[in-house]
Amino acid sequence: MPPRINYAEAFPEGQKAMYGFAKAVHQSGLEHSLIQLVLTRASQINGCAWCLNMHTRDAIKAGEQPRRLHLLHAWRETPLYSERERAALALTESMTLIAKTRQVPDDVYDAAAAQFNEHDLAALMLTIVEINTWNRLAITAEKSPVLDQTLPG
Amino acid sequence: MTNRIKLYEAFPEGLSAMGGVGTAVHDSGLEHSLIELVDARASQINGCAFCLNMHVTNAVKGGENEMRLLVLPAWRETTWFTERERAALALTEAMTLIAENHVPDDVWEAAAEEFEERELSALMLAICQINAWNRLQVATEAPPRLD
Repeated sequence: MPPRINYAEAFPEGQKAMYGFAKAVHQSGLEHSLIQLVLTRASQINGCAWCLNMHTRDAIKAGEQPRRLHLLHAWRETPLYSERERAALALTESMTLIAKTRQVPDDVYDAAAAQFNEHDLAALMLTIVEINTWNRLAITAEKSPVLDQTLPG
Repeated sequence: MTNRIKLYEAFPEGLSAMGGVGTAVHDSGLEHSLIELVDARASQINGCAFCLNMHVTNAVKGGENEMRLLVLPAWRETTWFTERERAALALTEAMTLIAENHVPDDVWEAAAEEFEERELSALMLAICQINAWNRLQVATEAPPRLD
């Protein structure tokens, strides 16, 4: 399915600015394995094919277990994720679905603040809004990944 | 309600880079009156007090009719908005609530009809940006400036 629009080509200044933002976020010091879980979880919720393909592949290439990506949908019901990861995932869900949740409740915020110092917590929040932007752009443009049947690695 | 982090203090480089995206949108050529409507509508849907206060105030200062902002959630049921504005508002709602139903073909086609590709890409990014700010300000309980 061809994309509806190539927004990067049509508005290059916007894409350049987004890349600058992504760079600041990814160089924030937050551990990359955690960033990949956050990117994957938000992309699952929003249903972004391009992002799910890209971030699950990147995660696995970087050493993530496929099972931990499969079970992200039900992270609360498994012992597979650390307290730090669980706090990040709860914040990811709360912020991603903000129109439903109407707020980030104190218990979710406090759990995240307990696990992350202020700089890292801000970087985590920016990571969450970054992926929510990429999801929206790719979904709207119907940007569809090519299926490569083989798992990386 | 005021003991959550201050983003600008906690991660200034990240916030500065966010500002870069906003500047790109602001300088894109898309009319500012339209961007303010988009910002107000997304902020209504996401329930961001800081953003709603700021964008409504800015819109009115910029000459927007206050009744259009008050009735904005029901824009479909009025004749108060141009076809171009209606297309942008429909896209705003679909992209804001992206997890529900993505962006249906009729919403996309109406937007593509009204906006050429560069403007449409800028509009998409504008919708993303307000969605980003809504989330950040709600998450940090940023108080609206009510002066």
